[in-house]
Amino acid sequence: MSARERMPASAAQLATEAETVIIGGGIMGLGIAYELGKRGRSDIHVIEQEYLTSGASGRNGGGVRMQWSTELNIRLMQESIEICRNFASELGINVWLRQGGYLFLIRSQQELSRLEQTVALQNRCGVPTRILTPQEALRVVPELNPSGFVAACYNPRDGVVFPWPFLWGYAHAASELGVHIHTYTKVTAIEVRGPHSFVVTTSKGTIRCERVINCAGAWSPAIAKLVGVELPNHPHRHEILATESLKPFLNPLVSVLSSGLYFSQSMRGEIVGGITVPDVDDGTVRLGSRLRFLEDMSAELLSVMPCLSSVRVLRQWAGPYDVSPDGLPILGEPDGIPGFYLVCGFVGHGFMMAPVIARHYAELLCGGARHPVFDRCRLSRFQDGSTEKEVMIIG
Amino acid sequence: MPNPDHPPSSAERSGGSDFHIEFEGRAVRARHGDTVASALIAAGVQVLSRSLKFHRPRSVFCLSGSCGSCLMRIDGQPNTRSCQVKAEPGLRCERQNAWPSADYDLLSAADAMFPLGMDHHTMFTSPRPLNRLMQKVVHQLGGLGRLPEVDAELASAASVVCQHVAVLVIGGGPAGLAAATEAATALGQTGRVLLLESQHSVGGSYLCHPELGRDRAHAALQLAQEAGVEILTGTAAFGFYREERHAAQPGAELGFVAAASDQVLYKLSADRYVYATGGAAQNLLFIDNDRPGVMSGRAVGRLLACHGIRVGEMPLVVGCDPFADELVSALRRSGQTVIHIDGTREKLTRALGGSWVEGAEVCDERGVHRTVRCDLIVIATPPAAASELLVQHGVTVELRQPGGFVGVADAQGQTNVPTVFVCGEVSGAMTAQDAADHGARVGLSAAQDRISEQARDAAARNIGQDQE
Amino acid sequence: MSEKCIVCPCEDVTLADVEQAIGLGYLDIDEVKRFTGLGTGSCQGKLCMVTTCQLLQTAQAADPQRVQRQPEAQRVPHPFTPRPPVVPVPLGVLAAGKGADRER
Repeated sequence: MSARERMPASAAQLATEAETVIIGGGIMGLGIAYELGKRGRSDIHVIEQEYLTSGASGRNGGGVRMQWSTELNIRLMQESIEICRNFASELGINVWLRQGGYLFLIRSQQELSRLEQTVALQNRCGVPTRILTPQEALRVVPELNPSGFVAACYNPRDGVVFPWPFLWGYAHAASELGVHIHTYTKVTAIEVRGPHSFVVTTSKGTIRCERVINCAGAWSPAIAKLVGVELPNHPHRHEILATESLKPFLNPLVSVLSSGLYFSQSMRGEIVGGITVPDVDDGTVRLGSRLRFLEDMSAELLSVMPCLSSVRVLRQWAGPYDVSPDGLPILGEPDGIPGFYLVCGFVGHGFMMAPVIARHYAELLCGGARHPVFDRCRLSRFQDGSTEKEVMIIG
Repeated sequence: MPNPDHPPSSAERSGGSDFHIEFEGRAVRARHGDTVASALIAAGVQVLSRSLKFHRPRSVFCLSGSCGSCLMRIDGQPNTRSCQVKAEPGLRCERQNAWPSADYDLLSAADAMFPLGMDHHTMFTSPRPLNRLMQKVVHQLGGLGRLPEVDAELASAASVVCQHVAVLVIGGGPAGLAAATEAATALGQTGRVLLLESQHSVGGSYLCHPELGRDRAHAALQLAQEAGVEILTGTAAFGFYREERHAAQPGAELGFVAAASDQVLYKLSADRYVYATGGAAQNLLFIDNDRPGVMSGRAVGRLLACHGIRVGEMPLVVGCDPFADELVSALRRSGQTVIHIDGTREKLTRALGGSWVEGAEVCDERGVHRTVRCDLIVIATPPAAASELLVQHGVTVELRQPGGFVGVADAQGQTNVPTVFVCGEVSGAMTAQDAADHGARVGLSAAQDRISEQARDAAARNIGQDQE
Repeated sequence: MSEKCIVCPCEDVTLADVEQAIGLGYLDIDEVKRFTGLGTGSCQGKLCMVTTCQLLQTAQAADPQRVQRQPEAQRVPHPFTPRPPVVPVPLGVLAAGKGADRER
């Protein structure tokens, strides 16, 4: 029987009691479930409101990169990409990692001088990022419009993955370790009985547990509210398009930081990309499609790569970013509710960080080493003002 | 063995040739009114494309721009639906995704390697070096057409048109033409009626009726024009955007239809929307159901009606609705020996042959199989409603057999969205004549609904003025 | 040509692929679309979605426990989200819309 034949769609019953309830069956929730299970702590129920891949984990562009402006993120992503490289052989499912690099196009001298420092930092961390002249960049991607940029940052070891199989891979492996996954099940209430004592009510029944992990992404503020915690992160619609399939010609993911444009060519040959488009951002998760996105995206994409002008768009969709005020995630327990764990606020890069975050989170929960990310990303930083903004954020 | 010069798929047609198109370096005859696909079919070309992963040979299936079986590189543009491109003298067309050629594609080894289908999730996941190698191979073999030859003109040449009309009819088949005609007649000078048709000419399923099709389409078009309907052909509605407005939109309402032609992006809103988007041809499930020579009934009807092309000598027709019966009669009158099965009591189980159909296996109610010789398999079962735009507009759809996801509406065609009406096949499987009758009723009620709303608004304004 | 019953010709998804997804308990069209990739190719599901929904209708009827297992799943057949553009549209035409006559 192949691994694929044993993958679970949804567990039969919700237990009345468990050690851990994970809310959200995205890559974060499933990744943590798997890593906990691997450490022998598999008395876990994962509650997903729709199907696996229904949220941001199934709607993102699949970029994985080491080019960041903070050492913390650089180091985390170096580790995460290493996990991605081994994912297929460890979890038995292809995730189609292709390390074609990330090519950031720089449009002004000011931007260039800012990025020179971050490139130096990346180099100190062992990331082989280089600043390229337009001529050098054209050797990497000959189809670029040479008049559109003054320089570029290029790390050939960044890449893209196909996001969906990560979820099935983690879900399958976690299930084999004894984790229960419930799809199409909603959490409606959480009662805090005391420290490390919760009753979670779902549309499939109630369950008592010692630990609740909020991995609900864009829905995490709503979940936190169920225990009386106000989170500073908010959902933001991010749209993506995919074109018809072309023979492989584009190696790296190309991005323009100043407009938030990015695009890459998938293993199936489609050009997949997005761009920043303003939205209402009133706390509602919006997933509708807008023509305005197609217009902005097409215009910016063609300004960078005019030869795509007659290439047709096949579809557009939206996914929910989970935006934190400083662009860094929110992790750990909020004050006063021991046993309630946050894993949210990853903006648009939760997917690429999930493999490494899941690993360190499981370590933390099992009493192992406490990675510095947990101190850096605690919720209370927004009160005591110790934030440091990540600037290399797309979209 | 396929031989392009002496094709076993005998396609015949009356009349002489007018000009040539260039097919992979050789000249192929074409007639005015041909599409690239029809010219190639008439010339006996069997394989128009190779499938994405398995490199299985493919030819036309729907011939109406909805399926992806006839994608070719045309005039330097990859992945172009050859059934939707007018043949023009010297037009270059070539097949894609094959090596060394589409007729003898060695990459079709993938088809034999994965007899049940490609388990792309678990294939070659370990050991790591093998996994890396596999991913490199898949990457290199992936994708369909090569990058287009540069056409930087398009971006600067395209323009935007924003309009608001009284009634917007989407789809120029029997239902849409009749709805637009009735709506325009009822509205007279009080409001514009605009009709969008994605294909190069209106007519829709009329054009698939081998004998009367073109005359009926022509007559319906003439009536629409006389009634004052404005018609945009070659303009495909591609989305209803609920959250946005365009510059020419009155009032405060949100939402418009976006449509595109080769050069123009349209943003169109209306007091009433009539969706007459028809249906997409569907295939049946049987072994090798994608073999060249398996065509939809509408494609076969259209080839005969619009291009005078008779494909094969011995077609096997599957289907039992009035259209299937009419098609069988027409094919017999054209001189073909037709085998007709209903698809329910007697089912098609397998398409036999090589790069073109040479026979079929059918199975009766008792489970007895028999093999029939045929050189064309015609799937003449009803299409599935093209209800994508309806769903985007918020209209409730339900799955019917036959019919697909049809828009739910009352007898007047009104849906759960008060300004949205549906008619013809997108509201349920029906014949072209029934669709035209339905369209006429729905078009009239959409116009009347708009007229009475305006009367109510005018009365309300008068009362308001009196009170001041 | 090896024997195959093709459900989605654009992405070469076979009946065996769909049956395997159903066998794993993926009984919603959204799940089957993602697990098999059907409906994501050049026709965006116009040829395969209804057929697949009919297969799923039969599979759902054979699994009465699904209601308890997945309380939030849709009970009636539904299409997957029809993503715009419903027909392929060139980037160059869409780009013309940027900044032109924009309201909102």
